[in-house]
Amino acid sequence: MSKHFLEIQKGNFTASEKNKVNDVNLIIEDQGQIISLLGPSGIGKTTILRTLAGLQKLDSGKIFLKGKLIASDKIHMEPEKRNIALSFQDNSLFPNYKVIDNINFGKKRLNGNNSNVKTDEITKLLHIEPILEKFPHQISAGEAQRVSLARSLLSKPDLLLLDEPFSNIDQSLKEEIQVSVKKLLKRINLTTIIVTHDSYEAFSTADKCGIILDQSLKQYDIPYNVHHEPNSIEVANFLNKGIFINVEVVDSECAVHRLRHDELGEIRGKLSNNFPTGSKVRLLLQPEDLIHDDQSALKLEVADRKFRGTNFIYTLKTKNGEHLPVFVHSHHIHQHEKSEKFGIKSPIYIDHLVCF
Amino acid sequence: MTKYNIWFFSSFLIALIVALPIITIFFSFFSETSNYFTLLKNTFLFDYISNSLTILISVLIITFLLGTISAYFISFYEFPLCKFFSWALILAFAIPGYIFAFSIIAFFENYGTAYSILTSFFGEYNYNPHIPKLDGVLGSIIAISFSLFPYVYVLTRSSFFFQSNNYIEVGQNLGLSEKETLFRIILPSARPAIIAGLALVAMECLSDFGTVSTFSVSTLTTGIYNSWLSFDDLNSANQISFILLIFILALLSIEIYSRKDAKYHQPGRGFKPINKIKLSGKKSLLAFSFCAMVFFISFVFPVSQMIYWTLKFPKYIQDIDILKINLNTIYLVGLSSLVLVLISLFINYGSRISKSKILNYLTNFSISGYAIPGVILAVAFITLFSNLSDIINANTNLGSTKKLFIGSMFGLILAYFIRFFSLSFNGIKSSYEKINNSIDESAYLLGYSKIKTFSRIHVPYLKNNIILIVVLISLEIIKELPITMILRPFNFETFATQAYVYASQDLLEAAALPSLFLISWATFLIIFSSKYILSQKN
Repeated sequence: MSKHFLEIQKGNFTASEKNKVNDVNLIIEDQGQIISLLGPSGIGKTTILRTLAGLQKLDSGKIFLKGKLIASDKIHMEPEKRNIALSFQDNSLFPNYKVIDNINFGKKRLNGNNSNVKTDEITKLLHIEPILEKFPHQISAGEAQRVSLARSLLSKPDLLLLDEPFSNIDQSLKEEIQVSVKKLLKRINLTTIIVTHDSYEAFSTADKCGIILDQSLKQYDIPYNVHHEPNSIEVANFLNKGIFINVEVVDSECAVHRLRHDELGEIRGKLSNNFPTGSKVRLLLQPEDLIHDDQSALKLEVADRKFRGTNFIYTLKTKNGEHLPVFVHSHHIHQHEKSEKFGIKSPIYIDHLVCF
Repeated sequence: MTKYNIWFFSSFLIALIVALPIITIFFSFFSETSNYFTLLKNTFLFDYISNSLTILISVLIITFLLGTISAYFISFYEFPLCKFFSWALILAFAIPGYIFAFSIIAFFENYGTAYSILTSFFGEYNYNPHIPKLDGVLGSIIAISFSLFPYVYVLTRSSFFFQSNNYIEVGQNLGLSEKETLFRIILPSARPAIIAGLALVAMECLSDFGTVSTFSVSTLTTGIYNSWLSFDDLNSANQISFILLIFILALLSIEIYSRKDAKYHQPGRGFKPINKIKLSGKKSLLAFSFCAMVFFISFVFPVSQMIYWTLKFPKYIQDIDILKINLNTIYLVGLSSLVLVLISLFINYGSRISKSKILNYLTNFSISGYAIPGVILAVAFITLFSNLSDIINANTNLGSTKKLFIGSMFGLILAYFIRFFSLSFNGIKSSYEKINNSIDESAYLLGYSKIKTFSRIHVPYLKNNIILIVVLISLEIIKELPITMILRPFNFETFATQAYVYASQDLLEAAALPSLFLISWATFLIIFSSKYILSQKN
């Protein structure tokens, strides 16, 4: 018995030898929370969704939904009895039915939840009104994905599982739909788990985010913490935001912690993990941590420059061969060429000192 | 782990039933025979094999030329009536080889149709010595070739259809001429389809009984039939069957291998349909003449001959109970299709939801029946159930069970089931495979049970395909000769058996009316199904 909305206890999920996730402990406390599971392709995220939906059996462990045991190594509730909807990544529309009929299939579930969601609202929100009379083979992959999402939403499930729900949707519509869907899910208080490999999508949509790497759930926290305070080198590397540099802990006792780097000098901030003064540690340095300042005396050589739209990302070379990334707004009054000197605001202050 | 459930046992039972004829032939090979087989080995067996191979090789060459050339013209060029020919050439499927054989004999025989035409144009004269006699092996080759070339035509045309214009444009861009494009790009890409078509032709050719028997040519199939009918030696018949089966199985392997390769020629995302070139002048005339000639000989000629004879000898219209034969045909076709489709659906569904590998092997094994020539199947069927009846008779008080299987409607439908299960099973399977598994899963997640998913999602999706399969089974059964003739209940006639019985009594003109009805039914079914074949939807 569990008092939480959903609880996975020591869940082992296996699709194949390579595709498995072990010892997953995950709790969704309240109804209406949106959770994202983030990880590289083929790691087993979809396997977790399929097991939750009842399409695959749980190897070991337990899954409770609304306090009821729905899966364990001995119990397997059939998918049609779980009241869990899964919107597949690939096209799973019924090929011989029109889009509107496909959507209406979702409305026929007898034991649906009590959410007040209407077909018109969903079709408008997901921009599928013009294609309602078409057959699945006449619509694009992105449209099919939206129809599948509409069908799942209208089935009034207790738990909605979305497998890469926005992956085929045009960039121009993607953000708008992500925002609208999130608003709707919150309004109808529908608990949702979204699987994605896009960290932006995971962070912007979810209340909590799980990082799956190396066959296990590495971190499960609010997106802000996952981004700023990854709990392992693997998670930090997966999010691929920065690099690790060697520093020494100068002061870990005061309110503001201080670190020292041979070339960058003193770095201040708040250590996410406790280390005694004098420890040699590796600090995660993200591109937004260093601030460009032409007037600063602290200068490093430009090794590379890439234009990223809103920003330039400069790579600076230290004397001991480290390459440090730095964001500079693309409207900054001048640009620096390779081998030029590049000023950095000193002393350096970083909110989250993520060290290992 | 395989679950020994209802799906497993059903598939096992069906695999066993379909495999029974092959098992019977295998065991009969080690049984004792009468002196007839020794006599045969020392005398005619070599002739049987050599005639079978001569016909086979010649038919392969002719069908290759007819099928690929017509498919090439129709796929890549525009010329007068090309759209009409694109489906009209398939109509040759409506003419079984034996009816083509009746037409050839009727046309070229002394004082036959050719003679009448010459007389009406040029007056009375003894034209007989100047009219070529297309009989024996030559007649068989022509009749079989023109009735089977659509296999090569349909598959090659389909392969050409799926050839992306991109390849052709790349070829042109690399400086290839039209001729070089044909031989270096188009034909090599279509090779698996052509080989698959030819392998089917070869299997049908080796299985042919009606045509060679009409021309009195001794081949392995007529050898099997004669061993059984004339010498009452089932074991000899089965031993000849064994030899024929080795040829057939070799061809079946080639066909399966070719189809495997053919998968690589399905259109991808960058598929661009072929831009047809509009022909004019001599080239247009050449393409038109070739297709018109093939259409005329393969379809118009035998149909005209049958109509001519029916009108010339109207007394047979009264003699033949055509209504009864029509009803027999509907009854036979309806019952067989129903059994075949229901069991194919059941096994396919079981295989889909149980996802068992052993079940897949079993179902694959159970489709081998299509490779067995009708005459072999019928003789093996009789052997098996005669032996079974003897065993039951000797050990129980049940009496003879022969009548239940031999000369009964049940036995006939069982034999059709063995022969056509592959057609029905694979037809449904190919359509079933297009339904992604995630579609079933979506239905379950929307609260649908397995039965509801089957009835609400699968059956509506498979509906068109099931209609097509019923049409194809009907077409095969209407044309089928040896199984029906050997296993039918007493006095039960189909168009095929009625025509053949008259022809074997040298009453070819009486065979015209049932032949004409057979062609009409088959033409109707082909036109109905060609819409699916040509549109490539199925």
